[in-house]
Amino acid sequence: MDLASIVDSIYASGAAEWMRTSVKAMPIVEAIHVMAAATVFGTVLVVDLRLLGFPSTQRPFTRVSGELLKWTWAAFVVAVITGGLMFAANAPTYYVNTAFRLKMLALLGAGLNMAVFHTITCRTIRAWDQGVPAPLAGRIAGAASILIWVTLIFLARWIGFTKGYNFDVPQDVNLDFTF
Amino acid sequence: MRELAEWLQGTPFSVTIQSVSWVVPLLQSIHIVTIGVVFVSSFMIALRVLGRIRTDEPFAAVWRQFSPWLWGGLCVMAVTGGLLVVGEPVREATSLSFWLKMALLVIAVAGTALFGRSLAAAARVELPSGAKGAAIALLVLWIAIIFLGRAIAYDVEVWGRLSLSA
Repeated sequence: MDLASIVDSIYASGAAEWMRTSVKAMPIVEAIHVMAAATVFGTVLVVDLRLLGFPSTQRPFTRVSGELLKWTWAAFVVAVITGGLMFAANAPTYYVNTAFRLKMLALLGAGLNMAVFHTITCRTIRAWDQGVPAPLAGRIAGAASILIWVTLIFLARWIGFTKGYNFDVPQDVNLDFTF
Repeated sequence: MRELAEWLQGTPFSVTIQSVSWVVPLLQSIHIVTIGVVFVSSFMIALRVLGRIRTDEPFAAVWRQFSPWLWGGLCVMAVTGGLLVVGEPVREATSLSFWLKMALLVIAVAGTALFGRSLAAAARVELPSGAKGAAIALLVLWIAIIFLGRAIAYDVEVWGRLSLSA
């Protein structure tokens, strides 16, 4: 099964159909996606800035990341679910959209950056957990992470302006609190 | 209000925002990135008050670390949001979500300022009374504001007959 036919079957799924026909589904799912994305980015930013030594290296890095990354992951799961629903609604359109493809690439980049940081750079964590600057590789990972996530959000917003269709209200639908 | 919005929409500055294709997406992108900064700053302060993070640090220290990001972010959002309103004044003026958002924003900003004052003055370990409830209430307010911000583009879909643009 090739990627294009998987995209087609996602488009044909019940969840996708619900997203297209329920008038209130799209704004609600999009709003939750924005909140989840904001939480992912903001919590990652706190951890990345600590890696860069800002505001100081006084708090152990493992403590800052340990306290926050569970919130990052929880929000990320919500973002994937809501993003998946938005994708499903118009899957073939997103699949060929350049901004969408670049966003997925940025997501992959963020994941790789994190994986390299956790498996290689963090091996020496005991030496720089507190009171001293992180090694260059760690600081590069922190700066790269901020850059990638900001780029990803920009690309995400650009999808909405390049997707090539308009989400118009159907004419014959009762809009008063129906789902 | 509608006349004012229509006049604003016809001004050269507004027309520039409307017609240069990358301006609105750029402003919206900066606006969304900054939501992350503001919301998580408020979230960090709330988590400290709720005893979930940084329990070794005084409330005032956590407030001092994150409140500049919160206020700074809000200033950026006021500028990007303000320019977006100038770019689409009629859509904003005829959106129930927009006016609700502005009303909740006033409450959230005033509430955060009061909350910050009591945290800054708080003793190292003893929480001001009602602080936990206030922390949760402020988070709920920010969530509602984010939701309403996204809902501006969908006023009829979200509000049905209550929509101002119908």
